[in-house]
Amino acid sequence: MRSLGFRLTAAVVLVLAGVLAAFAVVTHLVLERALVRQLDLRLAGSAAAIAGMAEDEAGGAEFEAESLPEFERAARPGYFQAWLDDGRVLARSPSLGACDLPRLGGAGSAPVHADLRLPDGRPGRAIQLRQALRIEDAPPGAPPSKRFVTVVAAVGTEDARETLAAVSRWLWLLGATAFATAAGATLVVVRRGLRPARAVAAQLDALDAAGIGNPIPTAGLPTEIAPIVSKLNELLARLAASFARERRFTADVSHELRTPLSALRTTLEVAAAQDRPATAYRAALADATALAVQMQALVGNLLLLARLDARQIPVAAEAVDLRRLVEDCWRPFAAEAGERRLRLTIQLPADCAVVSDPEKLRIVVTNLLANATAYTAPGGSITVRGGSAETLLEVADSGPPIPEDLLPRIFDRFSRGDAARSGGVHCGIGLALVRGVCALLGLDASAANTPDGGVRFRLTRPA
Amino acid sequence: MRVLLIEDFEPLARSLAQGLREAGYAVDTSADGEEGLALAEGNPYDAILLDVMLPKLDGFAVLRRLRARGATTAVLVLSARDQLPDRVAGLDLGADDYLVKPFAFEELLARLRAVIRRRYLAPSNLVCVADLEIDLAARAVRRAGRPIALSALEYALLEYLAMRRDQVVTRGEIREHVYDFAAEPASNVVDVYVGYLRKKVDEGHDSRLIHTHRGLGYSLGTPP
Repeated sequence: MRSLGFRLTAAVVLVLAGVLAAFAVVTHLVLERALVRQLDLRLAGSAAAIAGMAEDEAGGAEFEAESLPEFERAARPGYFQAWLDDGRVLARSPSLGACDLPRLGGAGSAPVHADLRLPDGRPGRAIQLRQALRIEDAPPGAPPSKRFVTVVAAVGTEDARETLAAVSRWLWLLGATAFATAAGATLVVVRRGLRPARAVAAQLDALDAAGIGNPIPTAGLPTEIAPIVSKLNELLARLAASFARERRFTADVSHELRTPLSALRTTLEVAAAQDRPATAYRAALADATALAVQMQALVGNLLLLARLDARQIPVAAEAVDLRRLVEDCWRPFAAEAGERRLRLTIQLPADCAVVSDPEKLRIVVTNLLANATAYTAPGGSITVRGGSAETLLEVADSGPPIPEDLLPRIFDRFSRGDAARSGGVHCGIGLALVRGVCALLGLDASAANTPDGGVRFRLTRPA
Repeated sequence: MRVLLIEDFEPLARSLAQGLREAGYAVDTSADGEEGLALAEGNPYDAILLDVMLPKLDGFAVLRRLRARGATTAVLVLSARDQLPDRVAGLDLGADDYLVKPFAFEELLARLRAVIRRRYLAPSNLVCVADLEIDLAARAVRRAGRPIALSALEYALLEYLAMRRDQVVTRGEIREHVYDFAAEPASNVVDVYVGYLRKKVDEGHDSRLIHTHRGLGYSLGTPP
């Protein structure tokens, strides 16, 4: 993974290297040009002085050589040569011997500069100058001579090149030092700048399941990081809420399973504690079987709920005889309802067919009837209506009503009308199943207290 | 020993009550917190077995009210809540023990014996009065090394007298600690059973251990 720090540092270092290189190149070029101009100026001076030594003397031309140390020394000498317009060589520098300097072309009197190779093989710089011969003792205002001398003067460029090389060395040295210093400083600054990000990462690293609800403080964070952290905190808060829900659900499931399990174990242990007649064992085994069936139903409901959560259930669509379905679902509750003197009235048309998933609808109706059977006061009534366009089914009972504070949570898992009802179909997830399955079937499940003190559960098709 | 079982899950309450009765306890049961609390306040139970998730009044509330009114009855909480905070809360509210469902019935009996032993300051399951030995765990009685066979009621009577050795115990107290509501004993039943017990324990021995205190009741112990 390439870190942000590495990228920032690399970018800054690259830019810095480019700027420093450009600076060095420009400095080198400017200096080179300045040195060449300086050399040209010196050459122009020398050439003018040499040209001034050529005199017009009564129709002839004479070169009055004066001392020019630059052109006479033995080591790295300068060279010059002077011509008259007719091509006759007027003078040569002592360093030239019998050799010729090249003419630099152009016949005008404007000075011409050029690079060339000196007769001794060194690289050099030359100037060509053409001017009128000087007239000795001419009065001021007299016309200049009609005859011209052309001077080519050349010197070695080694001084300029040595200066340039020395400056280049310094430029390299300074550039490299500046580069190294700046790169190091950038690295440090970037690392320091990213310290809050690393601090946040460390805090996230230290988070465990227990501390997930504690937000990471955003005070003092840079404005680039603070919004990320606050979004992260929102996410953590949602996660913590979800964990808490999950923990509560697990605790509830654990309670719902432990209670019948405890009864099962005690029943078997007590039965086995001493010798009994066969009828007593049979009674204990019947109790144990009932408990196992109850736990099986609970586990089945929990699995169904889990599959509903995971949306793994296919939904069928076929014609369902609603009346027969309700009658089938009622059968298991008839005995308990009889004990509690509850009366069931089914107000459905005889041929009431709806298109739905019969198995899912059976789960819904069974749980609604179980709920009504369990909670309706003894001697009361349960009425099933429905089959209309908007209301598929309605299960109403004679009460008591659901406490108002519980009504909004009645379809939540493990929210019970009575905090301690345990076991069986009405184990606190029945109504959660109703809502889950209804959502699958495209139905709305709602609960309300009726004005006459009863409770009404209604399954409607959304408009 | 008489215990109150407050448990709303009927199959569990039924088998627990059966097992406890077979283990020699007089057992009253209640399926909700309010009735349970009323029973606990109205009767001198030796121990209360208390579920936590109860209708009307939850087990912790029952415990809190019971302790707030100064009741010192041994309370053993039976709960499906196994989390540490629940166990700590139960014990801190004044429970003498906390047992997580599902439990082994043997363990429940052992813990019940333990809380009742503590209540009567008996150091171990072996209670000795002179040469009479009562093993509370095995429910076996020996005198001078010879085993004595007792009926369940005789044993319950002797056990209670032994727990309160050297104290005069009234007939009413015996009735309250040896019988549950289901028993409906006749008025002279205590005298009849003390007679049976005396025959089995004291006959053929020089020193008598069961004493009658005229107009007061009975006591078990070496003669004063």
